[in-house]
Formats: sequence, structure tokens, C-alpha cells
Amino acid sequence: MARTYRYAEQEEFMDKLRELLQSGVGKEQLQLYTPYHLPEVEQLLALPPGRLRLFPLIGGLGGFFGGLALTVYTALSWPLITGGKPIVSLPPFLIIAYLLTILFGSLASFAGFLLLARLPELDNLLDPGEFSNYFIIVVAGERP
Amino acid sequence: MERRDFLQLLGLFSGAAMLPGCSENRSAGKLVSYLVPPDEGVLPGAALYLPSTCGECPAGCGLTVRVSEGRAVKLEGRAGHPVNDGGLCMRGQAALWRLYHPERLRNPLRRDGAGQFQPLSWDEALTLVVEELEQARQEGRANLLLSGRTTGTLTELQQHFCRQLGVEPLPQFEIFSHAALRKAYGILFGQAELPHYRIDQADLLLSIGADLLETFVSPVGYARQFSRAIKQDGFQWLHAEPHYSLTGANATERLVLNPGSEAALLSFLLLRIESSGQEGRLPRQLLRALPAVSAGQAARLTGLAEERLERLAKQLLLAERPLLIAGGIATGQPNGLQTALLAGLLQQQLGMIGSRIEFARAENYAAVGSLHDLQRLAERLEQDRVGVLLVCAADPLARAPAALDLPGKFKRAGLRVGLCDLFDDSARQFDLLLPLSHPLESWGDAVPRKGVLSLLKPALDPLHDSRSAGEVWLELLRRSAKPAESASYQEYLFDVWHRRLDERQLQQFAEQGYLSLPVAAVPLRLQAERAAGQLAGAETAVAAPWSLVLAPSIRSFDGRSGSLPLLSELPDPLSTVSYGRWLAMAPAAAQALQLEDRDLVRVAAGDWSADLPVRLQPGLAASVLMIQGDLLPEASLPIDPRSGELVRVLDGVRLEKLGSAAQLAILAGSSSQHGRGLIPDPAHHAEIPPEQSRFYRAHPHKEYRWAMTVDLELCIGCAACAAACYVENNVPVVGRRDHLRGREMSWLRIEPFYDQAGRAGFLPMLCQHCHNAPCEPVCPVYAAYHNPEGLNVQVYQRCVGTRYCSNNCPYKVRRFNWWQPQWQAPLEQMRNPDLAARDRGVMEKCTFCVQRIRRARDRARDEERPIRDGEVVTACGQSCPTGAIRFGNLLDEQSAVYRLARSERAYRVFAELGTEPSVYYLRKG
Amino acid sequence: MKSLAAREKLEQDVLKGLRRPGKWYLLGLACCALLFLGALGLWGYQLSRGLGVTGLMHPVGWGVYITNFVFWVGIAHSGTLISAVLFLFRARFRSSFNRAAEAMTIFALMVAGLFPLIHLGRVWIFYYLFPYPSQRTLWPNFRSPLVWDVFAISTYMIVSLVFFYLGTLPDLAIARRRLSGIRARIYSVLSLGWTGSHGQWKQYGRLYLFLAAFATPLVASVHSIVSWDFAVSILPGWHTTIFAPYFVAGAILSGTAMVIILVVPLRRALQLQPYISIDHFEAIAKILLLTSLIVSYAYLVEYGLAFYGHNQFEMELFRYRALGHYRALFWLMIVCNSLVPLTLFIRRLRRNLAYLFAVSLLVTLGMWVERFVLIVTSLAHDFDPYAWGTYTPSWVEIGITCGSFGLFFMLFLIFVKTVPVLSMSELKERL
Repeated sequence: MARTYRYAEQEEFMDKLRELLQSGVGKEQLQLYTPYHLPEVEQLLALPPGRLRLFPLIGGLGGFFGGLALTVYTALSWPLITGGKPIVSLPPFLIIAYLLTILFGSLASFAGFLLLARLPELDNLLDPGEFSNYFIIVVAGERP
Repeated sequence: MERRDFLQLLGLFSGAAMLPGCSENRSAGKLVSYLVPPDEGVLPGAALYLPSTCGECPAGCGLTVRVSEGRAVKLEGRAGHPVNDGGLCMRGQAALWRLYHPERLRNPLRRDGAGQFQPLSWDEALTLVVEELEQARQEGRANLLLSGRTTGTLTELQQHFCRQLGVEPLPQFEIFSHAALRKAYGILFGQAELPHYRIDQADLLLSIGADLLETFVSPVGYARQFSRAIKQDGFQWLHAEPHYSLTGANATERLVLNPGSEAALLSFLLLRIESSGQEGRLPRQLLRALPAVSAGQAARLTGLAEERLERLAKQLLLAERPLLIAGGIATGQPNGLQTALLAGLLQQQLGMIGSRIEFARAENYAAVGSLHDLQRLAERLEQDRVGVLLVCAADPLARAPAALDLPGKFKRAGLRVGLCDLFDDSARQFDLLLPLSHPLESWGDAVPRKGVLSLLKPALDPLHDSRSAGEVWLELLRRSAKPAESASYQEYLFDVWHRRLDERQLQQFAEQGYLSLPVAAVPLRLQAERAAGQLAGAETAVAAPWSLVLAPSIRSFDGRSGSLPLLSELPDPLSTVSYGRWLAMAPAAAQALQLEDRDLVRVAAGDWSADLPVRLQPGLAASVLMIQGDLLPEASLPIDPRSGELVRVLDGVRLEKLGSAAQLAILAGSSSQHGRGLIPDPAHHAEIPPEQSRFYRAHPHKEYRWAMTVDLELCIGCAACAAACYVENNVPVVGRRDHLRGREMSWLRIEPFYDQAGRAGFLPMLCQHCHNAPCEPVCPVYAAYHNPEGLNVQVYQRCVGTRYCSNNCPYKVRRFNWWQPQWQAPLEQMRNPDLAARDRGVMEKCTFCVQRIRRARDRARDEERPIRDGEVVTACGQSCPTGAIRFGNLLDEQSAVYRLARSERAYRVFAELGTEPSVYYLRKG
Repeated sequence: MKSLAAREKLEQDVLKGLRRPGKWYLLGLACCALLFLGALGLWGYQLSRGLGVTGLMHPVGWGVYITNFVFWVGIAHSGTLISAVLFLFRARFRSSFNRAAEAMTIFALMVAGLFPLIHLGRVWIFYYLFPYPSQRTLWPNFRSPLVWDVFAISTYMIVSLVFFYLGTLPDLAIARRRLSGIRARIYSVLSLGWTGSHGQWKQYGRLYLFLAAFATPLVASVHSIVSWDFAVSILPGWHTTIFAPYFVAGAILSGTAMVIILVVPLRRALQLQPYISIDHFEAIAKILLLTSLIVSYAYLVEYGLAFYGHNQFEMELFRYRALGHYRALFWLMIVCNSLVPLTLFIRRLRRNLAYLFAVSLLVTLGMWVERFVLIVTSLAHDFDPYAWGTYTPSWVEIGITCGSFGLFFMLFLIFVKTVPVLSMSELKERL
């Protein structure tokens, strides 16, 4: 049997949260809903950093080396001289690599976000739970 | 002639090539299978090179016509031809535009009662002429023939025709008749001829007024001679003129004379040289008749410094082989005949006659009349004494001075028959129009000067239902039941050649398209008494506040080539104006009147006036105004009563500022190079450009690295190269509207730059095919890249049209197709099939005539050898009358470009930018 | 006073903007749409005839179209600056502007992206610029700044879109709650089932930080790369190392001005005075002032370099810019970008919204003119004096330019009626 607490104010909500945690409620039992981002909640719950940071890293590195590989490969696959510059002209290729770093890093991050935040909730996309203006604590059924 | 002879000659002149003009059913439209290649005829992709003679001006330069798929696509000067020896001017290049001109007469036309022109058949037209000739004869009215200058067999046939049909041949009409010169030589030596001048034999050339490089008799020939002369050490060329001509711009020194003071200058020189006692003395009665001009007087009259005049006399005396050429503007003045006489005397005095001035090789102007003859014609017309008036290949209506009122008086003739090629305003004044074939469509010969026979042979079937003049005369003879020995003009010609030339000569004539014939020496004796009588009484004109000089135009000759679109598209070399008329004015004079380029002024002389935009001309004398002669037909210019020559310098001209500006297509952004060293200052010769340090390693070229050298000492700025480039590379002619917006398409342009003293230098600017080309790396789609042979290649199919390459080109030689290029039919037939057509939205530029490189490579590969030096000749280099442009392989140490690129004179434009151009310029001196 | 009532009021106030549009709104929208349609027609005309309908010529191959491109990319810059850079700097006033600024970024980029297409000679093969092998296995030339542009602009566009969407996500969920009918369903789908659970907020917070970190270098790089279109070339007046920072400062200057131009009327029309205070405007006016000073400094440095370097081409070009054919535009640029913003040193003027609005209009004009002067004068007056020439835009180019403003404002007006113009979930933190 889940218990639900609803608060209008942030302070009341935080007090109750602290109280619940001190009373030994496991953080995995808690489901919290806030109208805005409250970093303090994460501190209270001492949540692990999470895996999202891996996504920009992988995406960014992939973008960088992918960009470099693309430009070098295409330049070598048909080596045309322009302006007397070397076939593999690294400075301009680095620009492409840099841009792809950002592009793929961002896109991978976003994909990671959707994945980790379990969005979109396809099952109830049209009728999701309310994004309330209240601070809500739902404590899942307490086990003995 | 015998049928056997005819066929033999036919074989000789046609060779293995096709027989244009023979097929009557050329419009049959039959598709020919090329499974079995034809023995003779059209081979797709293979071009024929046929000899011919240029008919665009009277000079008669030899041509090589490139015929591809049965169409003439390019004209080139014929190497070795005695007149032009390989070069061809911009008018010659543009002659194809006349051939394919959209406004060409396509069939005979007759004006009906309502004044509209109705087509009729040749049969009807010629019958009509014969009937009218007969009727006029019965009515006792004269039948007249007024023809443009003809030479060779056509002249004979014309005379024969006139004799047989009782048609009176009028002296031939040319506005540049050189009548004063011919008359002067007639008075002095009894030879009323135009001699052949040998600039290449001279070590000092003094030209007075004669525009040797623009229109004077044989400009390409003289340019060629100049290029030979300048290679001798110490060759000096002094040019004296009141205005500013291309000729003056190219002389070693330009002497600016007060208008009308040429005679004073010559008198002074004559007397000064006479008094030096070094040269042969003139007869006493002549000396007495000479106007006594002291150095001081001469200085006052001519505007030259006394010291300069003395030095000039000294230069003439010191020169071993001096040559004086007077003519053009100098003799087109009220005292023109006197100038010509004095010049003749000086020539005699300094021993030029017979050596550097050859009467034996006189230019064929004897049949040409003067404006007096036109005046007489006008009088006869007025008296209603003219029946049929045949006008052949001449446009007196547009060229004659307005005072004669020829168009008005023409109407008095019974039947006005015009043999002409274009259906223009003048053509509309006739009653009956007979379309003339283009010289490239006709058989014929020309004798531009004594001792030169030049072949005209059809390069293609006539495009329209036209005939050559010879065919028309023969046809008329036949219809009048007079004896006409030959079935066709071709046969008539063959007959003449067969009679005059021996077997070997015929062979040579057919093969090379020209023949040098031996000439008989002409004995000359100075007829002092006659000359003295003519000298007397002539006085020197006095300079007025504004003098107006009508300069002959290099672009349109006397105006006849003005209807060719290409020649309006090419800018005038001095002013860089392409479309429109203008009044050239000295910058100082303009500043005093607060006038700038394009400001409108009203120029008036007598009862004539015109509103013209101003164009500043550095180096022009402050009191002189200049108009291109061809652009001002309505000016009622006086005729010199003594020589019958058109007076082309007007005194007492009034000038009024109008306060508004006109649109005028001036192509140069600046007439000064702002010290940028595009043409290096001669004062800094010793300066060696510092060796460029390279950021990137130079990329190697394997077999060929194409390069060009342009010798600025030889370049005369005549823009023949630019014209050749247009024709060779299908460069679109875009017209006035786009020129006003700065969108000309020329791949090669002549940039005139003037220094503080008004001296001009000419820089042919084309794609420099840079080794490190700034245009290439900025192209996002590789449309521009550097090919393994060192060419900067533009791939039209890849080009998306960002125009970044053009922006990044320091030489600004790339051209963008702002519109879909238009070729008004049948001009599209002129296009070179070896070249890709460009669409709108695509960048294009000079390719170093890559199609010619390809052709040479194919040939070399077939023969399993590398391309030889000189085997690839670009269109610009081919056309250059002075041979200033050379092309070749820079990796070949035996090649001309290798040697020239390493000469002390070699430099590259904007070398400091590190683009490493493949075009090397050779500075003057 | 982080009270529920305040949050409720905030939601009501902001979502008021999504109500049925009024007469003036529709009139404005119609005008903008008309301008845009007119420009489309002109583009069609240009496509059918060729680029000859423009005033472009030899040697000026780039004119108003590229000016517009650089201008609109510049406008796009302050969006990222405000949303990403100020986020990292924890500048609180950013939440008053960030939504509008981000939307502006996207719309400006959409408009900007059109101009390289409009200016192409053969737009029907624009895809030749994209990284794919042609049938001859030829790829684009990655040495060309124009290909860098393709990458930079599309990257910027995609990152900005993601950033914008992420920021809007909670607000869309609020709109879902507060609206009904079909609109509720649409917002429901768009909000991806956002509920505000602490798990979602946690990922949201991290992603926002990452994206801000990714977008921040873009602020500097995108306009740097646009500037390299010019700086990489060989032309006097273009070929200079100062271009990248100079362009970035100019971009932020014009973008900030555009934010002010958009937000001042927005604040008034939607009665958002409680959320966007004068203090916030003052803060953004200081950015304007700062970037104006940087831009003025760049102007000075350009002249200093040209004359100290004693390169004849450079010297002549900079003389020409100030005194030649386009001198009126040059001095207009100096007045608008360097002199007028100096008045913002006065606090009273900085806090006067009408004045600030007027200054922003002038700066926007000045920055457009700056790009025009910079692009056109260098092309018109480069190395070969024979090839010098002057360019005058044709009515087609002017029409398409007007149409681009029509498109931009049309998109912004649609945005105002479809997306909450303030970031409610962020503002709630501030309440």
C-alpha cells in the first residue's frame, strides 16, 4: 500500500523527505515529484552520478574520430590537389572533426537522456501522470 | 576552258576534302551511316583546315578556316601569308559573326508599292535588273555601278560586265580611301598609289597620324612588321598625332601635336635636314615653295618643345634606315594634301623611296576613288540622270558625310539595287536587294597588294540563298545574252588562274592559299615643278579652343564591322568602353569643367551637335576632344576640296556641360594601376622579387606543366587575342545591359594602365593557372582543382555556383553565367563542338585551350611521341599579330616558354601573393 | 515566497499567451506571411531567370544574400549565449530571456540557412555540398570553408533544437495539464509523458549541463567558422586573423539587440512585467554595451593593422571603405555599432526600455550594414584595379531580404502562440 504526501511548499516537502529518510525508508521506495528541478533532492538521496555521462563521452569521441576518418578517407580516395595544399590537410579536417564531436556528443547525450529517463512513456503517452505544481512524495508499500 | 582542265583544277583546289557548294540538295536532311566511314566528307569530330582570305576589311589577310561538321567554327591567321603571316585582328576573328549574322539577307527582296520588302526568286530579281538596265539605256539615263574596293579577278570581271552591259563603273568607294596620300604621290612621283611600307627594314620609324595598328591599310601586317623591327637593337618608333591612338600608345615615344600642325612639323624637318647638308638636296624650286618654318615657329605651331624638334631632326639624320609614314588623321585635315606632299618629300629626301617604301608592291587602291566621286554621284542623282544604280559591297549611305545627303538623293535613281549581306538600315534604302554570299562561302581571289595573290575558297555551303558578286555579274551577263565564257564564277576563276599561273604556281596556290608573285620595279622620278606648284599657297591651321578628332576605330574599321555583336562586346582598347558612344577628354580639361566619366556634354560644330557622355582619356591633349569616327555618322564633316578626303579634325568645337550623366559601359575599374606593379615600372628593372618561402611542399608534375609567356614589349593591346578567345571557347556575348552591370564574360581581357604622363601599358589578363591557386581550395565541390599537367581546371558539371572561387581570385578572371547563354539562330552554328556548353549558374574561365592540348595529345599518342614544343598553340597566341603570347611545357628545357620564363624580363603578376601563376609576363625593355 | 499561489499565477500568466489570438496578432502574422510569400515568389522568379536578376556582378560575387546569411547566423548567436553560457555562469536573469532567445536562435538559423541556397547558381544540385559520395565516388572538398559552414550550421541547428526542446519539455507538460481538448493531446505527446519525477529531473539536470557544455564552444566556433569564409580567403579586408573573435562579438551584439527587440514588445503584450524586470534588461544591455566595445575595438584594430602593416592592398582597401563608394554605409555602421551603444554607459538610458529598444533597432541595422560593407567593399576593390567595380542590390535581393524578416517574425509570432514564452519550471525556482 503506497502512501502519498502532497505539499504546496518546497520547505515542507524537504522536511518530510528528510524525516522519511531518517525514519529508515529506503530511497528505492521513494518516488518524488517536484514542479522544478531540485538538486537538493539528489543530494539527500545521495544518488549515484549515473551513466548519462558516458553518452557524451562516447558520442563525442565517436564524432571526433569519425569526422577525422571521414575527411581523411574521402581525401585519399580521390586525391585532388587544390590550391597546392597537401591532400591530407589536417587543420580543416580538424574543424570537421570538432563539429562532429559536438554534434554526436549532443545527440548521444539526448539519446542517453531519453533512455535513462525512460522517455517517452509510450504506454501512456496520451494520458500520463500529472506534472503537478505540488511537491509529492510517494512511498511504495512498506515491507516489514 | 577545257572541261579536263577544270576538273584538274577542281581536284587541285578541293583536295581530298569535301566539295562545298557542289551539292545542290544540301537540305535533303539525309542521315548518313558512319558504319563505313566516308572517303571524303563530314567526319564527326575531325576538323578541316581550309585556306581563305579575310574580307572584313580591305587588308586581305590570309585565313585558315577551321571547319567542323560542315560548319566554319574558327578563323585563324594563315602562317606564312605575305600580308599577315599568322596573325589576325579582332575584326577578322569576328568575321564569323558576319557569316552567321542573324540579320543576314536570306533571299532576294524587292520593295513593293507600300514600301514593304517582298521575297522574290533570283531568277525574277536578275530578270528585273536586266530589264531595268535596258530600259534606262533606252531612256538615255546612265546605269552606274558603285562598288566597295575589289581586287583580283573580281575587278576584271566587274570591268568586263560593265563594258558589256553599258554600265558605268564609278570609282570604288572606301571612306578610308587614302586619297590624299595617293594624290600626293601622284603629284610627286607620278604614281598615284599607296606604297607598301617596310617597318621591319627600318631602325627609326616616324609615323605621323597613320594609325598603323588600327585601320591604316594593313594593320595586322604592320603589327607583324613592328614585332620584327622591335627585336632589333635600338629600334625607335616615334609617333606624332594630335589625339591618342593605340598606335601612339605603342610607339617608343608619342609626340603630341597641335591639331593641324603636321605640315609645319614636316616643313621644319625638311628644312632642317636640308640645311644639315648630309642628305640628298631637294630641287631649288621646291625649297623655295616650302613654307619657311623656323624651330621657334614650329615649336609654337606644333606645341612640341624646340629642343625636342631639334632632337627629332637629329634622330632622323642619325638613323641609318629611317622610315616616315604619314596618313590617317594627319592627311584627313584641311591641309592634309600638303602634309602628304611634305611627307613624300621628306621620304624622298631621306632616301626611303624604293627601299623601305615600295611602290612596286603598292597596295591595291588604284581603283578606289575619293569623296569627290561620291559628290559627283550625288550631283548626277540630283539631275535625275541615273537609271539603275548598282551598289555592291559598299555602304556609302551610312559612311558618307551627311552633307552629301546621299540617302535623300538616292531616291532619284530609277532602280536602286543593293548587293549586300546584312538587312540593315542602309539596305532598307534600296529597291532591290540581292543577298551577297560571305567570302567564306564563295570562290574568289584577292590581290591585296601587288605581288600577292590570295585564295578565297568556300569553307561551307552558303547558309542562305545568296550569291557572290562574281556569280551575280556572270549571271547578268548571261541573261543579257552577252558572251559569258564560263558557266560559273568558279570556272571563270579557274580559267583566269589557269591562264596566269603555271603548273607549279597553281599547285602552290591551291596548297597554301596564297602566292607571292614577282613584281616589276617601278621607276620613280621626283616631279619637282608640279610638286612646287601644289605646295604653294598651303598654310598651317591654327589651333582652336576645342578640336574634335574623329579617330578611326580598331573595333569597327570605318563602321562596317560595327554591326558584328562581338566587336561591341569587346572594349575599345584605350578607353575600355564596350557599348555606347563617348567623348574622350583629357583628365585635366575635364577637371576644369568639373566633369567625370559618364557626365553628359553637348558637343557642337557648325550646325551639328550631339550629346555624349565623357570618358577621361589620360595622355590626351587638354584642348583636344576625341570621338570614335565610326560612332558619328551624322556629323556633317567637310570634304577636303583638294584631295577628296574626309576631314576628320574639326576646329572651333563648342562644348557645353549638361549636368546629367548617361549610362556608359566602361569596363576598367581604374585606368591607373595604383603602383601595384601589374606592369612593372621600367625604373625598377634591377629589382628582383624576393624568393617566396613556401608553406607547403611544391607538388610535382609528371610529364607536362603547361605555361604561357606574354611579352609586353610585343603586346600592342589590340585585343585580337580576346576576340579569338571568344570565338574559340564559345564565350557568350551578353550585350549592353549586362556590360553596364559589370558582367562581361571575356576569359581574356586587355587591361590598359596609364601612368602619370599618360603613357599606356597593356596587360593581357587571363586565368593565371596558379600552382597554388586560391580559387581551388575554397570550392566546396571540387569543381576547381589542379590537374596533373598544371592546369587550373573548372568542371562545369560539378559547379554549383557559389562564386567563392571568383571572389578569391586575385586576378579576377573567372566569369559567372548570370543567365542562360543565348545564341540567336544561326549563331549557334558557330560554336566550337570541342567544348562543353556552359549553363546558367556556372563559373567559367580560361582553360589554356584545353581542347587544343587534347587534340595535340591525341595526335602525339597516335604517333607515339610526346607533344612537341609549339604543337599546342592557344587561340589567343595564334591570333596575336605580334606573336607576344607563347605557350608550352615548362618541364621541357628546350621549349620556348622555359627559356622565356627564365629570361631576365620575366615576372609574374602579384608574385608576392604566392599564388605561383603559370603565366609569365616579360616586361618591356 | 516560494508559494504555490505564485507558481499558479505564473502558470496562468505565461499560458495566457497561448490563448486565442487577437486582431493585432493576426494582422501582424498576415503581414509577415505576405512578406515571406512575396520573397518566395521572387526566389521563384530568380530560379526561372538566373542570378542575373540580382545586382551581383564581376567582381562582387557575394552581396546581400551572403550579408543576410551572416546577419541571421549572427542573430542566432545570442540564443545559445543566453541559454548555455549564462547557464554555466549561473546568471539568474537568463531565465527571463532564454526561451525567447532559444526560439530566436532556431528561427534565425532557419532563415540563415536559406540564403546559401538562394545565392547558389545552381540550387537544384545543392546536395553536392553534403558529405556523400557522388556517382563518381567524389566527396565534397573538406578544405573549403563552405563545407565547414554546412557542418557548422547544421550542427548548431541540431544542438540548438535539442537544447530548446529539452528546456521546453517540463513546460509542455504544464501546458498539457492546463489546457484541454486537442491542444492538450498535442502537448501531451510533445511532453513525452513528463511527470517531474526525481529520476527524470536528475537526468534532465545532467543533460542540460552537458548540452550547455557542448553548446558553449559552438557560440565561439560557429561564427568563427562563418568568419573563416572570409578570413581564409586572400582578399584584402577579409584575410585577417582578427575575424573570428570580431565576428563572434558582432554576432552577440546583433543577437542581443534582436532579443531586446523581441522581448520588449513581448513583455508588454503578454504582461510579463513581473517576470522580466528592468534589472534583467539592464543586465542584457550591459552585454550589448560590452560587445559593442569589442566590435569597436576590432574596427580600430583592422585599421591599425592595415596601416601599420603597410601593405598597399590593405591600405587602399581600408581607405576605400571609409572614403570610397560605400562610405555612407561605413559611417552609418560606425554610428550604429560603435557610437550609439556608448550611451548605454548612462544607467538611466540603460533602464529606459523605449530607448533600449531604439538602440537595439539601430544596432541591428548597423550590424547588417557592417556585414554588407565588409563583404562588398573587399570584393569591389581588391587586387587588380582594372577589375574594380561597384555593386548595387536589385529589387529582387531587397525583396527577398524583406521576406527573410517576414519569415523570421512570422515564425516568432507562431512560437508565441504555441510555446510558453518563459521557462516556467525554471522561473518557479526563482519565485
